[in-house]
Parts: sequence; C-alpha cells; structure tokens
Amino acid sequence: MSVIEYCAVRGCFRQPSIERMTALREYVKVHAMSGPAGPTVTIEQDAARKQLVAALARIAGGDRGALQILYRDTSAKLFAVCLRILHDKGEAEDVLQDVFITVWQRAGTFEPARASPITWLVAIARNRAIDRLRSGAMAARTQTIDEAAAISDNAPSALAQIEGWQEHRRLMDCLGELEPRHADAVRSAFLDGITYDELARRMNIPLGTVKSWIRRSLLRLRECLER
Amino acid sequence: MSDEHTTGSGDGAPVAGEYVLGVLSAAERRAFEARLAQDPTLRAEVEYWEQWLGGLASEVKPIDPPPHVWTDIESALAAQPAKTGLWQNLLFWRRAAIGSAAVAAASLAALAYLARLPTANEPLVAKLEASGGPARFVAAIDSGGRGLTIVPASLPDLDRRVLELWLIAPGDHPRSLGLIEPGRPIHISLPADLIPRVAPDATLAVSLEPLGGSPTGLPTGPVIASGKLTNL
Repeated sequence: MSVIEYCAVRGCFRQPSIERMTALREYVKVHAMSGPAGPTVTIEQDAARKQLVAALARIAGGDRGALQILYRDTSAKLFAVCLRILHDKGEAEDVLQDVFITVWQRAGTFEPARASPITWLVAIARNRAIDRLRSGAMAARTQTIDEAAAISDNAPSALAQIEGWQEHRRLMDCLGELEPRHADAVRSAFLDGITYDELARRMNIPLGTVKSWIRRSLLRLRECLER
Repeated sequence: MSDEHTTGSGDGAPVAGEYVLGVLSAAERRAFEARLAQDPTLRAEVEYWEQWLGGLASEVKPIDPPPHVWTDIESALAAQPAKTGLWQNLLFWRRAAIGSAAVAAASLAALAYLARLPTANEPLVAKLEASGGPARFVAAIDSGGRGLTIVPASLPDLDRRVLELWLIAPGDHPRSLGLIEPGRPIHISLPADLIPRVAPDATLAVSLEPLGGSPTGLPTGPVIASGKLTNL
C-alpha cells in the first residue's frame, strides 16, 4: 500500500508518522538539490506569513474579501516601493492597481515553498514599476511627494513582523562586508530601479566600473549568504 | 549553483541578480525574460535573489495609497466576468460530467448523495475552482458536520505531485484535511478539533504537494483550486 493509499484511508497527514517523516526528508533532499536555497523561514512562528498565505489561497479561488485583506495589509508597503522607483504618485497608483489585479489573476501560481508572500508581492510590484519606468511613457507630471504627510500611521503589524526576519539582518550583515560604495550601488539599484547608465551617472563613475562593482558584489553577497 | 548564471564579470549575458536588482535596460529585460521562460535553473536563480534582496524593501517606509486606488481595483474586477452561484449553474455539472466517465459517475454519485441528505440541517457545500477557470472540485459536508465528501470535476497534470485538501477558517491559517485522490470521490472524516471551524465562509483549498503531502503543515505548492463553504 502506498503512502497515499494508506493515508487516504487513515487520514494520517495531520500527525507525524514514519511515512510522513520519510516523505519530508525526501522532499528536503530533493528540494535542496533542485536549486539554490533562499532564506530559511521558521513557518510555525510566523503567523503573519500564514495569514498572507491563507489570503492568497482564498484569492486563488476568487474570494474578493481576501483580496481586500491582502490590500489592507500590504498596499502601503507596495505603494511606497513603487513610488520610490517612479517618483510620481499618479504613476505609482496606476502600477499599484495593476499589481493587485495581477495578484487576483495569478494568486494560484504562488508557491509558498518557493517564496515568502511579501517578497513575491514586492517582486511583482518592482517588476511592474521598473517596466513602467523603462517604458518612457511616463507623463511629465510634477506632483511632489509629501512623504511626511503621506507616511502610513498604521504600518500593518503583519509586515512589521515579516520584516523582523533574521534573513534581513543577514543580508544587511553581508552588505556590510562589501566596500561601502559597492553596497550603496546595490542598495540604490534595488530601491530606485535604475539602469547601469543612470547608476553610473548618479555615482559619477564610468559605466564599466559600476557594472563590475555590481557583478562582483552579487558574487560576494552570494558567498556570504551561503556561508 | 550554476556558474553559467552567477559568474560573468565580463560583458556576458546578464545574470539573474542583475535582473532582480533592476539595472537592465528595457530591451535587456525582455531578452532576459525570454531566457527565463525556457530555463528553470535561471528561474530558481531569480527566486533566490528576489527572496534575499527583497529584504531591502524594508528600508522603504510604508505610504498609504489614496482610497480611490482600492475602489478602482474593485471596479476593474467587477468588469470581469462574474462567477455564478453554485447550484443554479447546470453548465457546471455538464462540464464536470464531460471530464471522464469516472468523473461523470462521481458527480452523479455526489448529487445522489446530496439529495439523500436530511433537510433538518442545511448542508454545507463548496465549489472549488481556479481563479477564472472551470470548477475543479465539489465538496459537501456531511449533515452531522463530521465528514466531508469531495468530488474532482477536472484535474490538471499532477506531474508527480499529490493533491492536499486544506480548511481555512476566517482569520485562521490553512489546516490540512489530508490528501485526496485524483479521479474519484473521497470521504474524509474531519478531525474533532477542526469540526467547529467547518462553517459558512470557511474556505476549502486544494494544493499540489510533494509525494507524501506538505512537509511543513502548510500549503507549499500552488493552490490549484479553492472555494468558500456555503449553505445549500
């Protein structure tokens, strides 16, 4: 009798069992070999993450209430990420709307084993914002960003918890091992979503230099993260 | 780790980290995404950097978007085809029955089963579907609330993975109800601690999991279908 047949009859998957532990070890082994390991997360301790995972599962089934919950908990962060890249409120609002419609359509493709919900959302938001920035279709709007007035006064606790992850500290430690200007280049590239050309201009260094800084920094970051 | 994707101090093809950082031009991004679509190793590299570098987003202080953004999202979703109610939708049963002879029989069996239910308790049912796609499963809670029958309507390619059923009560995290089998209806006895959570507005979801079921106690694979329990 296979594990599946056995458990279909016994409904055993809620308790650890020999079969289940074997399956788990097998899974971990296969998973560890199948690609580079991202940050490890202690899922059991992370209620916020569970809530976002649950919301995404419900969204996948067409639950609009769950989308509203996800929006309530993550939109301020995602809006800020888009605004930082686009420097234009109207553009950032358009992208944010686009992001949540994408999430509505693609929630079923989210795989909790491969990504944390918030980084999955941030990745979608950044990709959309960067594509918008590169498209050249940005209107010459001159609206200023009054950040002091706009900063969220009720930063969602879900995100506060997520950002307490040890992994973030580890990334910071590893960035700290780079030359300060190299770490600045990495941070600025990520947060501002700017091209090598723009990065070189802002940092006032040749294009080839900034490229080699970034590429070397990525290699060194990886060595450090995998240590 | 694949050196092909991680080294490249020269002017070689952009590496995943550069794509994730966002330093590529529009044309380079499109070219990289074309490679990405073909190459699972590259995709794993991108996910790796998204997870690690994603932490930098915590340096950005949250800023509330104006209220009209949410209302615009709601309007955009309202313009999409509405999902019809479960039991009015005969088309659903027709579609379910087209799947295969076994599935057709299973669907009829479920209907017959539901018809037998005592009317004293309003039976709870759920249609589990993929966002916008056809329904994939139908579930009915036993009249006593202690068991559940789930019937597959249409199934994706499982690709050496198994189907795991989850109960998600409002405000709760997903609780496993065990594995279900493709191709035939299955009856599951609900664990005593979960019985109170089986109520209208709780969600049932099915995820693809590695053989043996989720190793973490939470869904780890994609959720291929989900739906709310409602009173019949």
